[in-house]
Amino acid sequence: MDNRHKRRKGFSYASRRKIFIYIVLSLGAFISLIPFIWMISTSLMSLGEALGTAFFPSELHFENYAEAWRRAQFSEYFINSILITLITLAGEITFSIFAAYAFARMEFPGRDLIFGVMLSTIMIPAMVLIIPNFLTVTWLGRIGPIPWINNWPALTIPFMGSIFSIFLLKQFFAQVPDELFDAAQIDGAGHLRFLFQVVLPLSKAPLMVILVLSFIGTWNSLAWPMLVTNTPDWRPISVGLMNFVDEAGQLVNLTMAGAFITIIPILVIYFFTQRQFTDSIARSGLKG
Amino acid sequence: MEKKNFLQRTFTGRRGRRLKEYLTAYLFIAPASILIFVFGIFPVFFALYVSLHRWRIVRSDMIGLTNYVNAVGNLAYVVAFFLGLGALVGVYFLIRRVLQIKREHQDRPWLTIVPGLAFAAMIFSFLNWFYRALPEVLDIAFKVRGLERDEIVFAELLGEALRAESVLPAWRTFLLALLATLALSVLALHFWRSRNNLKHQAYFSMGFTLLGIGIGLLAFTLQEVNAAYAAALAEGTDPGIWPQVITISSGLILFAAGWLIWRRAEKQTSDGLFWLHALGAMVLLVGGWLLIGELPAVIAAGDKKIWDGLKVTVYFSLGTVPLQLVISLFLSVLLFQKLVGSNVFRIIYFIPYVTPSIASAAVFQQMFSNRQTAPVNMFLRSLGLPPQQWLFEPRGIITIIGDLIGFSVPSWAAGPSLAMVVIILHSIWTFVGYNTVIYLAGLGNIPKELNDSAEVDGANGWQVFRHITFPLLSPTTYFLSLIGIIGTFKAFNTIWIFRSNLALGTTDTFSLVIFIEFFEKLRYGYASAMAFVLFGIILTLTLINNRIQGSRVFYG
Repeated sequence: MDNRHKRRKGFSYASRRKIFIYIVLSLGAFISLIPFIWMISTSLMSLGEALGTAFFPSELHFENYAEAWRRAQFSEYFINSILITLITLAGEITFSIFAAYAFARMEFPGRDLIFGVMLSTIMIPAMVLIIPNFLTVTWLGRIGPIPWINNWPALTIPFMGSIFSIFLLKQFFAQVPDELFDAAQIDGAGHLRFLFQVVLPLSKAPLMVILVLSFIGTWNSLAWPMLVTNTPDWRPISVGLMNFVDEAGQLVNLTMAGAFITIIPILVIYFFTQRQFTDSIARSGLKG
Repeated sequence: MEKKNFLQRTFTGRRGRRLKEYLTAYLFIAPASILIFVFGIFPVFFALYVSLHRWRIVRSDMIGLTNYVNAVGNLAYVVAFFLGLGALVGVYFLIRRVLQIKREHQDRPWLTIVPGLAFAAMIFSFLNWFYRALPEVLDIAFKVRGLERDEIVFAELLGEALRAESVLPAWRTFLLALLATLALSVLALHFWRSRNNLKHQAYFSMGFTLLGIGIGLLAFTLQEVNAAYAAALAEGTDPGIWPQVITISSGLILFAAGWLIWRRAEKQTSDGLFWLHALGAMVLLVGGWLLIGELPAVIAAGDKKIWDGLKVTVYFSLGTVPLQLVISLFLSVLLFQKLVGSNVFRIIYFIPYVTPSIASAAVFQQMFSNRQTAPVNMFLRSLGLPPQQWLFEPRGIITIIGDLIGFSVPSWAAGPSLAMVVIILHSIWTFVGYNTVIYLAGLGNIPKELNDSAEVDGANGWQVFRHITFPLLSPTTYFLSLIGIIGTFKAFNTIWIFRSNLALGTTDTFSLVIFIEFFEKLRYGYASAMAFVLFGIILTLTLINNRIQGSRVFYG
C-alpha cells in the first residue's frame, strides 16, 4: 500500500512537470507566432479598424490583398525576384557541385591551399566588399557587351560563387564511401559519371538546404539590390516591399497584406522541406 | 604501330593520367574559384586601394593614411606602426622555426635563402604592377564611353592600358621575378638535396615577404607622420603626434609585457615567486593603463560617428546574444524531453528564422508603432504604463525607466535607445529558433549514460544540468555566441527598415554608419577606410574568442 501511494505521488509529480513544460513551450510558440497572427488579422481589417484597438477584424476585407498587390506593383517585383533567384541558384548550384566534388574527391596540387584561402573569405565583413564590388560591377557593365547595373548580371553573378555551399556539399561528398568510387571506376565510369549517377542522387538533403538558404538569401537581400538598381525593371521584392512600406506606411492593413504576400512563398517551401531543413542546419552548424 | 599526336602522348601513361586528373580538377573548381576570387578576394585589395585615396564616385588624389586618421585619429599611425612591427615579429618566429628544424635534422638551409628572396621580389613586383595597372584599367570605362560596345574595342583598350608607360616595365619586372623564382626554386630542389628543402623555401619566402611588408609599412608610417607633422607646423599648430604615438605604444607594450608575466605567474609553483610575478604584472598593467589613458583624447580627434556606431553595435550584441542563448537553451532542454508534439513546437520556433526579415521587420514596425492604439502600446496601457514612441525614441531605455520611477539616470548609463531595444527584441525573436535547433543537436550528442549514471548517484535535475549537460554543451554555446556576435556586426536589412530620422542615429550600428557614408554621402574612400576599421575590430574579437575557446571550452 505504501508502495502504491508512492507511485501515485510520483505520477502526479511527473504530470505536473509535464503541464509546466507544455505551458512554457506554448508561451514560446505564442510569442513566435503572435506577429504573424496580428499581421494576418490586421491585413483583413478596414483601415479604420486597423488603426483602432481591435485584435480581430469584424468583417473580412480580402480585397486588401488585391489592393496591396496592385499598389505595390508586386506582380513586377515578384517576377523579378523569381528570375533573380532562379538564375542565381542555377549558377550557384552547378558551380558549387563541381567545385565541391573536386575538393572532396580529387587530388591536385594546391587543393588545401586554394580551399583554405576561399574559406577565409567568410571572415571578411560585407561592408569591406560592397564598395569595391560596386565599382567592379559598374566597370564591367561599362566595358562589356551588356550593362550590369539595372540588369540581371549585377544581381546574380556575384552570388554564384558561394564558399558556404561548396563547404556544405564538400562535407557531404567526402562521406560517400570510397568503395562506391572504386566500383564505378572498374565499371569504366569517370568522374563526371560518378558525380551525376552516384554522388548527386545521394545528396538530395544538402542540395535542398542550399536551395532553401539561397532562396531565403536572395529573397532577403536589400543593400546590394538597392545599390545596383535604380529603376523598378529588375528590383527584387525586398526593395519593392521596403518602398511600399515607406509610401503606404500609414495604411497599416495594406502594408500587412503586402508583408504577408512576400512571406507566403518562403513559408510554403519551408513547410515542405522543414524536416531535412532543420536537420541539415543542425548538422552544418555543429560541424562548421 | 600507331603514331600518337602530342595530346595523346601527354595524357597516356601513369603520369599522363595524373596530369589529366589535375586538369579536370582545375576545370571543376574554375568557375566557382574565379567568381570567389573576383567578388571575394580581389575586392579586399581593391578596397585597400580605394581607402588610400580621396574618392567620391570617381578616383581623385592618393592621400595615404588621411582617411584612416579622419576616422580614428592618430590611432591610425599607432596601428600601422604596430602592424609593421608585428610583421617583423613574424619574421623572428620564422627564423626561430628554421633554426629549430636545422638543429633537429642537421640541415643546411641557408642556400634556400636565394629562392626565398626571389619569391619576395616576385610578390612585391606584382603588387607594384597591380598598383600601377589598376587605375589604367579602371579608366577604360571612361574611354569606352560613346564607342561601340564590342569585345574588340575592349581588348584593344585593355592592351593599351596594360602597355602604358608606367605599367609595362612593372609587368616585365614581375615576369622576370616570376621566372627567377621558378628557376631558382627548381635548381635549389635539384642540387641541394635535403629533406626539408621545400619547407625551408616556403619559410624563407614567407619570411622575406613579411620582412618587406614590415619595413615597408614602418617606412610608410614614418613618412606619413612626418608629412602630417610638417603640415601641422606650417599651420602653426603642434599636432603632438609623436608624444601620442610613443605613449600609446609604450602603454600597449607594457600591457603585453604585464600579460605575459601574469601568464607566467599562473605557472609558478612556489607562493613567493607567484606573488613576485603577480606584483610585477600588476605594476606593468597599471603603468600600461596610465599611458593608454591618453587614448580617449586621441580617439576623440577621430570621427564621432564611428565610436557611436561601435557603441550601438556593442549594445546590440550584448542585448541580443546572451538573452537569446539563455532562452533557446531553456527551450531546447524542454523540447529534448521528447514529449508528444515537441516536433510541432520545433517547427513553430523555426518559422521566424525563415521569414524574410524585411517582412517581419515591417510587422514589428507596426506592432511597435507610436500610435496610442498600436498593440504594444495597448499592452503597456493595460498594465497602467504610459505609451511610448518606440522606434522614434532616441532616449536610452534606462533613462526612460528611471523617469518612470522618478530617478534621474546619468547620461553615460542611458543604455541603448528605446528604438534600439525594438531592434534587439526583433533580433532575439528571429534567432531563438535557430539557436534552439542547434542546441537540440548538441543535446543529442551527449551520451545518455552520463546523465543516467549521475542520476543513479543521486544528482537532481538541476545538478545534472549544471555539472554535465551545460559543460558538455560549451562548444555549441561557443559556436552560437560567435555566430551571434558576428551576426550583430553584419546586420543590415532589418536596421535599415527600422531606421527613423527621429531616433537621431541611435540605431545606426557600425555597418550602417559605413553604408550611409558610402550610399548617401558618396565618400567611397572614407567609407572603405571605415570598413577596414570594422574588419580590424572583427579580427581582434575573433582572435580573443579563439584564445578564450582554447582555455574555457570543454570538448568532452
